[in-house]
Amino acid sequence: MHLFWKISLPLAACMTIVALAYAQSPRAATPPPSRPTVGSQGALPVHEVYAPDLIASGGSLFQQNCAFCHGRDAGGGESGPDLTRSKLVSTDTKGENIGPIVRNGRIEKGMPRFNLGEPELKSLVAFIHSQQDKAMSQTGTRKGVDVSDLQTGNLEEGKKYFNGAGTCSKCHSPTGDLAGIATKYQGLRLEQQMLYPRDAKSKVSVTPASGKTLSGVLAFQDEFTIALVDQDGVYHSWNVSDVKFKVDAPVKAHVELFDKYTDADIHNLMAYVQTLR
Amino acid sequence: MNLLQRVFIRSGVVLALVSPAPMLVGQGVSSETLRHPPVDSWPLYHGDYSGKRHSALTQITPQNVKNLTLSWAFQTDQSNPIKAAPILVDGILYFTVPDNIWAIEARSGRLIWHYTAPPNKAFHIGQRGVAMYKGSLYYLSSDAHLLSLDARNGKVNWDVEVADSTKGQWATMSPLIVGNHVLVSASGDFDNLQGFVRSVDPENGKTQWEWKATPPLGTPKSTTGGNAWMTGTYDPDLNLVYWGTGNPTPVLNGTVRPGDNLYTCSIVALNPETGKLVWAFQPSPHDTHDWDAVEIPVLVDGDFHGQPRKMLMQASRNGYFFVLDRTNGKSLLTSTFGPVNWTLGVDKDGRPIPNPAKEPAPDGRLIAPDEGGLTNYRSPSFDPKTGLFIVSAAPSYSLYFSKPADGTYGWAGADYSLWSTGVLTAIDYQTGKIRWKHELGDGRSGAGVLTTASGLTFTGDTFGNFLALDTRDGKTLWHSNSGSHIQSGAITYELDGHQVVLMSSGSVLFAWQLPKSDEHKSVARATK
Repeated sequence: MHLFWKISLPLAACMTIVALAYAQSPRAATPPPSRPTVGSQGALPVHEVYAPDLIASGGSLFQQNCAFCHGRDAGGGESGPDLTRSKLVSTDTKGENIGPIVRNGRIEKGMPRFNLGEPELKSLVAFIHSQQDKAMSQTGTRKGVDVSDLQTGNLEEGKKYFNGAGTCSKCHSPTGDLAGIATKYQGLRLEQQMLYPRDAKSKVSVTPASGKTLSGVLAFQDEFTIALVDQDGVYHSWNVSDVKFKVDAPVKAHVELFDKYTDADIHNLMAYVQTLR
Repeated sequence: MNLLQRVFIRSGVVLALVSPAPMLVGQGVSSETLRHPPVDSWPLYHGDYSGKRHSALTQITPQNVKNLTLSWAFQTDQSNPIKAAPILVDGILYFTVPDNIWAIEARSGRLIWHYTAPPNKAFHIGQRGVAMYKGSLYYLSSDAHLLSLDARNGKVNWDVEVADSTKGQWATMSPLIVGNHVLVSASGDFDNLQGFVRSVDPENGKTQWEWKATPPLGTPKSTTGGNAWMTGTYDPDLNLVYWGTGNPTPVLNGTVRPGDNLYTCSIVALNPETGKLVWAFQPSPHDTHDWDAVEIPVLVDGDFHGQPRKMLMQASRNGYFFVLDRTNGKSLLTSTFGPVNWTLGVDKDGRPIPNPAKEPAPDGRLIAPDEGGLTNYRSPSFDPKTGLFIVSAAPSYSLYFSKPADGTYGWAGADYSLWSTGVLTAIDYQTGKIRWKHELGDGRSGAGVLTTASGLTFTGDTFGNFLALDTRDGKTLWHSNSGSHIQSGAITYELDGHQVVLMSSGSVLFAWQLPKSDEHKSVARATK
């Protein structure tokens, strides 16, 4: 199975559970407007209260295995995201989001798998939750990237760039695919999505030497194997040397843009994209 | 027959069974072994002192490599992946993951002994292998202790603290043995600490000398950091060790440490007897992007623009490829080997000039490469025949942030990689031009590079495929899916007349060789 599916299927299942949990949570239903939310998106976390020794043993595990990438305080380190601002963490009640990621890794993003038993995982979850709660209960300016940090752009310039030099409007429309994008994502998450939508799907058509062309979502491609998932969800794969194929990867246009942007272009574009609520 | 007996009989030192003398395990590793490694050994991290990762072995060729077959595999059953370069001495392979050392028999992959370190709370992000001198192994624990162990059985001879892990330092490196010196260092850029290279007595663990990369803690307007966390290289003729140092701290906030921040992000030449600095070259003056210059300083003797030179080459994390004259540290060539957007150019001494507008900022700066760098610690390889420096590169873009609330301690900011892709890149060292590229897939390959005199390049892609390529053009000649992410470089050696390529992926070591019938057709064996 392709890694993407390995990770996303259990996650999708978890998200459903979380959504149900929130339906019963009065705190999540009416978040107090004055308090900052985690990563400025989503509901305030509803975390269990954990025994201090459980948090401490989770902290120990975290320092050994996670802190290098995610920071000692889970607030971001080398290459790993700030977990205290993570929506995945804030919507996690007892490890249902965190557990699958720890156990399966996010190999394509450089996160390895960790073989942790249930008690170890529970302590790790307790530590991460407690760090998020701690970070959120801070007053004043928090370290890390806030939505308010990303408001230095000029909306009109951004709109001009979107429709002109940025060539964004070639593929995207503010009333089409991008309608509501700033409701779905905010702050850093929105900016990351704007610059490179990691989860964008590519399409592929494969023509075997004998047989008809099959099209679907590109599921895997290296220099030896190509695979797709067809409209019925069935996985097909071939040796690259046995077939002709054509990949349609519109996301590559984002890669082409990287060496064209100025920092001001990005900030202006961000100002514009944030209006697409 | 018990394991010890097997070891001694193979080593031809049966007498050692009745003698308590600890130095009689085979020949062990002598200074001569390290200067001129025999073909049936890989006695130190780089295989030899030069860091070229180029083997003279020619039994496996571009013609027959497609027939490689698995001789054996060894499973560590640990979740921490293998990042070590195994060493091979007297038919025994020694390798590590954090808190673990294994001695396994190179013919069959069978376990001889397994050492487990006491639990400790330091970062367990990797362990790059042990060093050996005479009959002892030298291992750096995650909490930055240097241990000497008896290579026969893994018993600890002594254990000394190299750095205080409670202050934030940790260790991953394979020590470098030079003469009567065990050279070690540590990591630690989550705190404002002083980087160092230390020489330790192999007999008793006593410190012989220490070179500090940065001024004492608390020096006003001064940098900290410069952790020299990778294994250096050594030129026995010039009697100089070459070491890369890490980034300054605070990492992303450069305002409190004005100037170049010597000797962070530097390549330094040290006298191994005294630890005295002979020269330094700084790939990243005033770094604000975590681009350690610890990537292997590869030592090459050869022609440069018509003149014989003793050179040092580094493909640096910051995206620049440097060729230096290693007698004096003067620049011969500076070029880029992928997208780089953080400089205003290169100064007269061959050093990149950082663009102040590309320092991390509250609203973010788009930076190429990302924090992982255009390459990282995995070994590149130099192929003398083609004059190619082959490096596993990762063209990448990222956002770098820093604001007052991030403070002036440790990380002091945040950065997020947006995209990266793996590209094996073959650089012509005389011009800096890229002669060929081989795409390795989006993300970043964790595999190092090995070349052989028969014209082969061994590496791995981001999908976990082991690859053998034609060194002349980078075309794939052989592959095998390893089933996990590759986090190490291949090594090669000859055992009982057969060339072996040893690779690891995830928690498994794989030993490849040709079927017996193929070896007869192969050209006569070369010697290293």
